[in-house]
Amino acid sequence: MIANFPILLFLVPFVSAVSLPMLGARYPWICRPLALGAVSVSIAVAVANLVTVSHLGAIRYAFGGWAAPLGIEWVDDGLAAVVILTVGVVTWISLVFGGSGPPEARGRVIPYYTLILLLVSGLTGLVFAADLFNVFVFLEVAALTGYALVGASGGRALLSAFRYLVLGSFGASLYLLGVSYLYVATGTLNMADLAQRLPELMSSTAVVSGLIFVFLGLAIKMALVPLHGWLPDAYAHASESVSPILASTVTKVALVAWVRIFYSVVGPGIDVGHVPVLVLLDELGVAAALIGGTLALRQTELKRMFAYGGISHIGLILLGVSLGNATGFAGGVFYLLNDAVMQAALFILAGAAVRHYGVRTLQDLSAIQGRAPWMTAGLMIAAVSMIGLPPTGGFFGKWNIILGALQAENYLGVFAVVASTLLTLAYFVKIFASFLGDRPAVDSRGLEIPLSLKVSLAAASAAMIGLGIWSDPIVSFLFEAALLKGL
Amino acid sequence: MSDLLEALLYRPNFIAFVILFLWGFYIMVIHPNLVKKLIGLYIVQTSVILFLVAFSAKTGATVPIVPAEATVVEASNFTNPLPHVLTLTAIVVQVATLGVSLALVLAIYRKYGSLDVDEVRKKI
Repeated sequence: MIANFPILLFLVPFVSAVSLPMLGARYPWICRPLALGAVSVSIAVAVANLVTVSHLGAIRYAFGGWAAPLGIEWVDDGLAAVVILTVGVVTWISLVFGGSGPPEARGRVIPYYTLILLLVSGLTGLVFAADLFNVFVFLEVAALTGYALVGASGGRALLSAFRYLVLGSFGASLYLLGVSYLYVATGTLNMADLAQRLPELMSSTAVVSGLIFVFLGLAIKMALVPLHGWLPDAYAHASESVSPILASTVTKVALVAWVRIFYSVVGPGIDVGHVPVLVLLDELGVAAALIGGTLALRQTELKRMFAYGGISHIGLILLGVSLGNATGFAGGVFYLLNDAVMQAALFILAGAAVRHYGVRTLQDLSAIQGRAPWMTAGLMIAAVSMIGLPPTGGFFGKWNIILGALQAENYLGVFAVVASTLLTLAYFVKIFASFLGDRPAVDSRGLEIPLSLKVSLAAASAAMIGLGIWSDPIVSFLFEAALLKGL
Repeated sequence: MSDLLEALLYRPNFIAFVILFLWGFYIMVIHPNLVKKLIGLYIVQTSVILFLVAFSAKTGATVPIVPAEATVVEASNFTNPLPHVLTLTAIVVQVATLGVSLALVLAIYRKYGSLDVDEVRKKI
């Protein structure tokens, strides 16, 4: 049973996704309970999995009983167990809000839940896969559902989805090209096996360019500046039921895949032509954090602002995991967990503003003032967490990244974290300034805020504060996971 | 220089791969027509598949099926089967991508009556 946790975590959403169209055609009411039930079961298994992994160490699952270098292997280590639990929780939060759309969206209930469950199973595979080609397959499974989900809302979203698809597929081709270079040079696709053969081959241009292609492919998927062009349009134009889950999972899980490939294949201490790879990576992270934050400040539309905020956080996380010490790594991964929850909460707030009050831009935001106590409270907590103030998890993530940067004597990294915090503060000041501005004389449509929105906002806020309160055990758990990766 | 040229000419299949990859990328970036962009993307993906197939081939090798009576298997007599398996999977992924992308293009055409990116942008 314990050895089967990884595959169970994949099969629960996958089997539900496949059976949902058949059951849903016969019993239309079953879609929502089935999807939410499947995600809840996944969360329960993920909790059991996390407990097991923290006590007994990593679980290795060999498909079909074929042992590692020949067969395909999934590795369920501390990092994967934490990330998979987070994916489950943010999916649940997003589904509670997303599935409660207006009646005119009801016609698409079956495809919506099917695609979301397929997305979750793709992400699960991506988190666990310890085989380079398997990562490619799951990258594409997750990405294809993403394109379909973005495009499903029609209108402007169609062109954004098309752009996302072209760039995403090009990224996947680059990734595949990189993998084939590595395969040509080493003759293996298994990460553990590659790790043994690569060190003596690091002077080969084929290996170095293969790694660069792999990184470029994944950088497009994780929307690392300057390859972020597809993200703001896609997430801003996607339907409000879809953007919370996409924004909170897809880019972060691509980053997790890179972290796994980098630390289990290449290793932290590697130089290419006298340039330490980690320094290059953390400078890319610094650039992304600063540019993303600056662009966020310039936006006038809520969803786009949050999308650029997410881009800047990807930079912070990349900076944290590439500092080359366990403190920074733990801080980066912890910030990744926080960012997943924060992005879900922010896009739920932006979606609810559109759905219930017709508010899209900062200018109209004052229309909500005084009418939505739940949303105001949710926005406050999300803002505190985004800026990074102590009771929430955002603070401890940034704190550990700064500690790691100081330990590595990387003052540029310290500067980037502080500057991006100030930029975040600045755009939230902008949001609150327009929120508290003069209230326009609009007709109050008196739309009751549904229970589902309250539940998902409460769950997201609780998760943000909970991550802050229990940050100590989580960070020390991640710290140990980092030590196992050779930091 | 002449060594490099000789090495390149010795492997024309890799030159073909590079040309196809760049050509596809060029079409994808330059052409305003959505379907032609897809064709460019398809050429890029196919060139990677060509690369995978090209390096699995060996002179004088046969299909990787080992006869039942064989006791010693000489690897140099067989082509490498793994890249072919990867190719099959990559083609399946490619087909799925093509399906989704054509559905998107069709929806764009129905909504805006054009396949030209610039015209569609104007109407949005």
